[in-house]
Amino acid sequence: MADCAQCGVALQGSPLICGGCGAVQPVAATDYFAVLGLERRLGLDGAAVEREFHRLSRRLHPDRFARASEAEKQNSLAATALLNDAWRTLRDPVERVEYLLKLEGYAVGEEHAGKGKSAERQPPPDLLEEVFELNMQLEELRMSQRMGETADAEVVADLAAAEKRFAAMLNDVDAALVAEGARWDGGQGRAEAAARMIELLDRRRYVRNLVRDVRQSLTVTA
Amino acid sequence: MAYSDKVVDHYNNPRNVGTLDKSTSEVGTGLVGAPECGDVMRLQIRVNPETQVIEEAKFKTFGCGSAIASSSLATEWVKGKTVAEALEIKNTDIVKELALPPVKIHCSVLAEDAIRAAISDWKKKNGVAETEAVAAQ
Repeated sequence: MADCAQCGVALQGSPLICGGCGAVQPVAATDYFAVLGLERRLGLDGAAVEREFHRLSRRLHPDRFARASEAEKQNSLAATALLNDAWRTLRDPVERVEYLLKLEGYAVGEEHAGKGKSAERQPPPDLLEEVFELNMQLEELRMSQRMGETADAEVVADLAAAEKRFAAMLNDVDAALVAEGARWDGGQGRAEAAARMIELLDRRRYVRNLVRDVRQSLTVTA
Repeated sequence: MAYSDKVVDHYNNPRNVGTLDKSTSEVGTGLVGAPECGDVMRLQIRVNPETQVIEEAKFKTFGCGSAIASSSLATEWVKGKTVAEALEIKNTDIVKELALPPVKIHCSVLAEDAIRAAISDWKKKNGVAETEAVAAQ
């Protein structure tokens, strides 16, 4: 941990602000977990983190530095921006996993782009098949909506059933992510947990897109 | 991010959208997904059993403009080629032709994967060994 740029006391918790003299620190290279004074863990006490976010927000707020030096104003703005980014990322359990894995040097999501063939990371063929078929049905539904026709009741019923099934799949994926996250936090079999989480995140993108698109189309129909 | 003119052209006027009869032995089907974004792409080829020339190619892609353009271009390119020639199409050729930005390179990878998957499905159906085709190249 660094020392306060103003009073020289060792910084505790978030490196954005000095617990001793209250000076906002110049933003240095750090990570979102450190910004919120957290260990790099996937399991978080959401309410406690939120309280810490609000506490830091208030103390770093640019309004408090309206009459401070130019440097302090700049520090306050930069620290507030960083704090907001950190909170937005870590509050979401899925983004938290992606962020932590990247931080630990794993290639996640778009990071794969162009490297390694996606063939090595293909989802199970039956999932792909189902995603494709549902997209075909969705397209049919959208087409009839555009033509101002009443949607085929059978198609709508199929899609409503699919929405339920895929929403449940999304829940399963998220539950599995939490379980693997706990394994990661436990420190045993981290490489395995990471590989499994990357796989789950890949799978999640298909399912998420589909749930989103189906919901959107069904809302238009309703 | 702005799409290149070529991407826009393929997106607005996609070539060879459609379906071929999956059950025919002359047709190979490749269904692949891009885990980076959740896009899915199906590419089908109809191969002349005598000449091994790809006489027809169709695609259907659910995804972004770059994924649609990449698969549209892929169907244009494989048509008229032999199976062995089609396997030589590289995703980097697609990137160059469509001027894809780095974040969209995975769309071209997906199109290359789709070509390979379709050819490999056709080979499996027709009992052509993978190694045989490599030797023929």
